[in-house]
Amino acid sequence: MSQKSFARSLGIRHLVCGSCNGCELEMNALAAPQYDISQEGWNIVASPRHADLLTVTGPMSEAMRLAARRTLDATAEPVVVVAVGDCASGEGTWCGAGSAGAGAGQELQASVVVRGCPPSPDAIREGLRAAATLLDGRNS
Amino acid sequence: MDNLYRERQVAQADLAAALDDALYDALPLGCYATDRTVRTLSLSRAGVLAMVTPLQPGEAWESLASRYPLFANHEREMQAMQGIDVRSSPDRRPLYFRADAIPEAVVAEGRGVSAVVVGPVHAGIIEPGRFTISTGGESVVHIDAQLSYSHRALEPWFEGQSVLALAPQVARVCGNCSVARSWAYARAIEALAGAELDAGTEYARLALAEMERIHIHLFDLGSIAAGAGYGKGTTAALELRERINQLNRVVGGHRLLFDSIVPGGIRPGTFADPGSTRAILRTIRDDAMRFVDAFLAKRSVLRRLEGAGIVEPAMARRFGAVGPSARASGIACDVRALAPYGAYREFSFTEERASAGDVFARGEVRRREIERSFDLLERALRAMEGVALPVPTELSVPEGTIATVVEGARGAESISLSVAAEGRVGRLHIISAAYRNWPLVTRAMEGNIVPDFPLVNKSFNLCYSCVDR
Ligand code: SF4
Repeated sequence: MSQKSFARSLGIRHLVCGSCNGCELEMNALAAPQYDISQEGWNIVASPRHADLLTVTGPMSEAMRLAARRTLDATAEPVVVVAVGDCASGEGTWCGAGSAGAGAGQELQASVVVRGCPPSPDAIREGLRAAATLLDGRNS
Repeated sequence: MDNLYRERQVAQADLAAALDDALYDALPLGCYATDRTVRTLSLSRAGVLAMVTPLQPGEAWESLASRYPLFANHEREMQAMQGIDVRSSPDRRPLYFRADAIPEAVVAEGRGVSAVVVGPVHAGIIEPGRFTISTGGESVVHIDAQLSYSHRALEPWFEGQSVLALAPQVARVCGNCSVARSWAYARAIEALAGAELDAGTEYARLALAEMERIHIHLFDLGSIAAGAGYGKGTTAALELRERINQLNRVVGGHRLLFDSIVPGGIRPGTFADPGSTRAILRTIRDDAMRFVDAFLAKRSVLRRLEGAGIVEPAMARRFGAVGPSARASGIACDVRALAPYGAYREFSFTEERASAGDVFARGEVRRREIERSFDLLERALRAMEGVALPVPTELSVPEGTIATVVEGARGAESISLSVAAEGRVGRLHIISAAYRNWPLVTRAMEGNIVPDFPLVNKSFNLCYSCVDR
């Protein structure tokens, strides 16, 4: 099989950084038959070592800061960070609230941002496609 | 007014006896502190009773947790957030920690016992928590669940903000129980403001809450299927849930129904066409019940679910468990039946219970509740036909304190609200069903095999965000 067949498959590691879980409900919807991202060769993987990209949600909670940084460090280059939702993108309800940070995607320098509170599964899928294209460029 | 709130002053020395009395026929809701005043709450047919105990300067709080273990986490929170000195507590670790001070896990000791740590990042799309699992061979001896990774210290941040303007934030404390929490918040504000709502708005609120229950229950059943290794069931449940989410978008303007219940009413435009909503729901109902009935009757599935993660009724009661997880152990705790509010007062409603207390029972209670929810929706939407829904009432919120409770998909969701001058938050305290039920998850695992942790955990499927807030 040519390398191209696998070019756009993705191993996705998901990081929840103070999200309200609304973003997670929509991430989970991607596995529903209406979207079924596994058809695209996209899978949620069990280790950052298997991941091509990190999806992050939430404003960044204090207690997740270190774990998030370590997860990113453990992911093999090239890696793309995708900010999922308004909070992660730095514009959400919880950004700067209480002890929350300014947005997990901002802190981890996301190169793809998916807006919405939460974003629809379609919007998240578009974001993942954009990330796949970016990775394509970086891998060659 | 339904679901009344009353306060009674109780000195600390008399509290344990007063609590024994109150809990004879009431659901315990825990306790919380505002500065140095502790309120101990319970819910009965007569509404919420708050026992108010002011602490003198220098006076410590004598832990209630050895008598009623359900108080342990509430007390740990008072200690961490309000600086109350809690005496003779079985667990002195702070409930919430700062980044640099993760509390040490409690691990079992003994010959052949070893510990495995997982988290806070997990191998799926799930919220963060650290689980330290002490095992003896294949069996779990003890699980230490460390939450707080999503803690954002929101409650102090709420203080001083406009009560009315905070409604969108309250809707986003947790995505799994958003509608229920918005409803509890709206009811708290409306009760203080003395506002009465029209019947149409009450039907619409009930319908919104039941749509949330259905999509979360379907998600939870799909998660149980995943825990049992039955992928087809997970896919089927997600397909059905997605159909409800799409319908949510049409009827309430948001796939998860955020902001559909607002103080004074419902979002304008909600349930514009109850007749066609009913028709769509009937189709989803047929498919949903066909799937759920078949799923929970499948022999291979039953083998995995029966006998796993048993919660005895006495344990559920001691820990103040709520929701379908408690009802699966025979506990009567459905707020819709115990202390009916809104349109539930009008519709006769019997709560669903089971007795085995295992993973199967937790699935079975949800199965029946989904069916009840479709029934309730049918009646509410029928009643709404031809009724014009008004725009939300303008409210002005006087000073005062109140607590309200509604039944969310995972159980009793409560709001305690003190309004200060000019409609500002004096104190806003949120206790979720997940907060109440977490201690059960780890205990349900004791004596079970390690590989069943995902299954047992998913049969509760508790949220973290509303616990950590
Ligand atoms: S963007 Fe919205 S849905 Fe996502 S975590 Fe923030 S508040 Fe929740």
